[in-house]
Amino acid sequence: MYINRVNTKILPVEFKYFAPKTVSEAASILNRYGEEVRILAGGTDLLVKVKQRLIEPKYILNVKGIEELRFIEDRSGEIGVGAATKLSELVGSEIIKEKLPVLHEAAEAVGSVQIRNMGTIGGNLCNASPASDLAPPLLVLNTSVKAYSSSGERVIPLEKFFLGPGETVLKPDELLVEIKIPCPPEGTGMSFLKVARTSMDLAKANVAVAIKLDGNTVKLCRIAMGSVAPTPIRLFQTEKILLGSEFTDGKIERAVQTASEEIKPITDIRSTAEYRREVSKVLVRRALKKAYERVKEGEING
Amino acid sequence: MEKEIVTLKEKLNVVGKPKRRVDAKEKVIGKALYVDDLRFPGMLYGKVKRSIYPRARIRVIDTSKAKALKGVVAVLTAKDIPGKNMVPIIVEDMPLLAEREVRYIGEALALVAASSKRTAEEALKLIKVDYEPLTPVTSPIDALKNTSPKIYGENNIVISYKLRKGDVESGFREADVIIEREYRTGYQEHVYLEPQGIIAVPGPNGSMVIYGSLQCPHYVQKAVSYVTGIGMNKVRVVQVETGGGFGGKEDVPSWVAGYTAVLAYRTNKPVKLIYDREEDILSTSKRHPAIIKYRTGAKKTGELTAVEVKYILDAGAYATLSIPVLWRGTVHAVGPYKCPNIKVDSLAVATNKVPCGAFRGFGTPQVIFAHESQMDLLAEEIGMDPIDLRLKNALEEGDQTATGQVLRESVGLKETIRRAAELSNWHRKRREYSLLKGVKRRGIGISTVFYGVSLGAAGKHLDKAASLVHVFPDGSVVVFQSLTEIGQGQRTVIAQIASESLGVKFEDVYVQQADTSIVPDSGPTVASRGTLMPGMAVIDACKRIKKRLAAVAAEMLNTTPENLVFENGEVYNVYKPGKGMLFKEVVKEAYNRRVNLGAEGWFEAPFTSFNPETGQGEPYFVYSYATHIAEVEVDVETGKVDVLKVTAVHDSGKIINPATASGQVEGGILQGLGYALMEELQEKDGYILNPNLTDYLIPTSMDAPEIEVSFVEARYSKGPFGAKGIGEPSIMPTAAAILNAVSHAIGVRVFSLPATPEKIYWTIKGSGRYT
Repeated sequence: MYINRVNTKILPVEFKYFAPKTVSEAASILNRYGEEVRILAGGTDLLVKVKQRLIEPKYILNVKGIEELRFIEDRSGEIGVGAATKLSELVGSEIIKEKLPVLHEAAEAVGSVQIRNMGTIGGNLCNASPASDLAPPLLVLNTSVKAYSSSGERVIPLEKFFLGPGETVLKPDELLVEIKIPCPPEGTGMSFLKVARTSMDLAKANVAVAIKLDGNTVKLCRIAMGSVAPTPIRLFQTEKILLGSEFTDGKIERAVQTASEEIKPITDIRSTAEYRREVSKVLVRRALKKAYERVKEGEING
Repeated sequence: MEKEIVTLKEKLNVVGKPKRRVDAKEKVIGKALYVDDLRFPGMLYGKVKRSIYPRARIRVIDTSKAKALKGVVAVLTAKDIPGKNMVPIIVEDMPLLAEREVRYIGEALALVAASSKRTAEEALKLIKVDYEPLTPVTSPIDALKNTSPKIYGENNIVISYKLRKGDVESGFREADVIIEREYRTGYQEHVYLEPQGIIAVPGPNGSMVIYGSLQCPHYVQKAVSYVTGIGMNKVRVVQVETGGGFGGKEDVPSWVAGYTAVLAYRTNKPVKLIYDREEDILSTSKRHPAIIKYRTGAKKTGELTAVEVKYILDAGAYATLSIPVLWRGTVHAVGPYKCPNIKVDSLAVATNKVPCGAFRGFGTPQVIFAHESQMDLLAEEIGMDPIDLRLKNALEEGDQTATGQVLRESVGLKETIRRAAELSNWHRKRREYSLLKGVKRRGIGISTVFYGVSLGAAGKHLDKAASLVHVFPDGSVVVFQSLTEIGQGQRTVIAQIASESLGVKFEDVYVQQADTSIVPDSGPTVASRGTLMPGMAVIDACKRIKKRLAAVAAEMLNTTPENLVFENGEVYNVYKPGKGMLFKEVVKEAYNRRVNLGAEGWFEAPFTSFNPETGQGEPYFVYSYATHIAEVEVDVETGKVDVLKVTAVHDSGKIINPATASGQVEGGILQGLGYALMEELQEKDGYILNPNLTDYLIPTSMDAPEIEVSFVEARYSKGPFGAKGIGEPSIMPTAAAILNAVSHAIGVRVFSLPATPEKIYWTIKGSGRYT
């Protein structure tokens, strides 16, 4: 009897593995192998899929060793976050906590400590799960993302980034390198809420809200939800109900109703469409009220 | 004088102390070796080809392409099995490999052994099975219809039981209140940390050694002998460190080892077979889904007058352990209450789904959910506090159970109820929570249970245990017994019992893992018997050795054996404390005098009986008792439940190790919380839709409530130092207590498990409350 040092079960497929140190190296690998490469930017989704043989990649490109993709920068008016920044780094960042508390809350709601230590902001977005916890707050923050390829860079509004479950507008040779988050105007109140089956689970539904008031008139209103459509979505119709009008219970209820009509939930293993629609109303109502309370707290605390 | 000695000897030094688990350090630092950590020269990797239909005739299995693949050593089907194509469990109905018909998705059809796991997987894809799909039967209600295809025997009934006491009709006539409801419970998957795994190693003279992750080495020995045709004397089963069982490694390893042994036999090479998680969830046993129709009659003052139960289990495709599971459920169907008139009818019904089997609680959590919901409904109906209603009906010494058994000793039930009420501040919280308004409502709920320890009358032929104890010249001790350590702390508890019995230091005792070639058949590691049964056998062996040592020591200390105290590695005259000798000095002298320092111990379970016509008798020789009180907060707008606290009070007799016993209770509560609220194996037409841990959710540490554990130690005279059993009672009351708390919080009741947020949401919505 010997101790077995041959791992017999982690990944059942063979692949070539790259771990470049720079963005340009990574870009040239993507340029060469294109669609056959899967990017490892955390592994909490990719490796599970490989293990279950849902995908059998020929090449795996690990971007977690690229130092220039790991940063959180305060650029007065905008926060720049490197795509390979870990979720636990987001949670621990004083800049995020102070300037973008809603993103701090959402990052903290993702999975467990272990998942947050593995997962990255870029991986979370590129995985394009409709249930992403980061997408709704980033959407209401009017975030853009920067993609890099051997032929150049481009900046894409996050609103236009997701195409469907697991699909983004990135081309096979493009690498997501940076998330650019404008700081919300002074006095904006924001909130993030989530309903899941257990503490560690993906969302059955989640929501982020950003509002700003002038007196009691809504001057800015952005609402985004996850797990209620093929991609994380902004609820533009719902926002319109509130924008420019008084923030009253009646208006909130109209907004809640519109939200439940605007979303397109499906039934899957985690939830039924009917429940998602019902609980979305609760989430939108609570998130609006919480954001409003924060506006008011901000006014008091000045 | 006599009395004084008894008092001295009753002073316990090791038993009752929270000794650290003997296996803790190696497991924590990753040094402990599990089956997948082992490798043998020339070892091959096994894989199992499985059915993709819930019910189909097998026309042809073509293995030619798989056999031709480089690296493949063997591809075997039913005809290649050297022994019987049958897994011996209770009845013989399940082939090792399906030959003419498959009866559930995941049923084994063919086996592959190859030089690597990957090659074995490739080979599976090359096996072509020509099926003729047949209409499956996937619900027990459908299976019971006359029009249903017959998939098991003449009527699809695997087994049925009845229990009759008094006259229920007159009992219901006497009742002031009758509560009648139907309850449903779902599957529960064990999710042991380590999936199933076996290595079979062919040895000299046609022998075979099996190393595996398993609960019941003697079951595996029999099964391997059956399917290979090798005599039991040449099949040796060694249990290696096992990453959890919960009943899931009771019967299943018999066929996992069967596959592996057949491959090893045919290739004459060691073969390793480790299940993937998905394969494990799809093809191994689970807790039975159940339908329970329950009718309870009572006086306005709370006394039960009649209970009538119809209990239906969804057995799956083969009998496996449904027979004893249903039996235990039937015996426990009324709960720990006095009631003169009882009628229970129970059925386990075959379906074209994975066979259900043993899961901690063994057919009781389903009926407990029903009888404890009934008790709360009854309390509400007659306006009585749920605690008072339970105390009014709870069994105590001298009372009769549903089977007419008079409880003669060790009945701590009422004290568990009283203490749980006190520790949880029941009365205050029950009142305060009822007054809460708003979105977050709180509730507090109780559930109380009894549990027949060990196998009982249905398994009495297996209910025995052996041990082998050796004392070495250096004073150290080795203990062999063949119940298994599966994470519950069994080896530690056995070491404590041996240490206390011989009066040696705890650190000087080493308990070996189970090996069927060393210890006589001691039955399975199930039914919360891992402390009581082998504990008594170990005490028996220790007594024999101690008697021999006492004769030597008495001479050395110039006294008589009756005056000697063996304690903490020392031996002394009770009248001259402080002037004794070291245990090892006595051992050394005895060794030189050629005294036999090894002994075999034996214990047979006390009397049990059961009349199959009436269900009356003494089905179990003793019972453990437990009460859980759960506190929850429910978000009435989303249906989400947070379990805030569970107070658990258990009477398991003398607690040998309070740390491991508390660990058992805490684990049981979390597993019960999952059963109550989260764990939902989704099945459609025989297909399991979520065979992975992304979609089948169990509670994590973040879902864990505050847990307060307390023990009522009503000693049992025939147990080791008065111990009974703790493993299964740990989970049994939890789900019902949580559901009663949810119902207290929201004012409406959920009648099926798991009570997911959606189910609670629609229940609230349907009730028209909070609109």
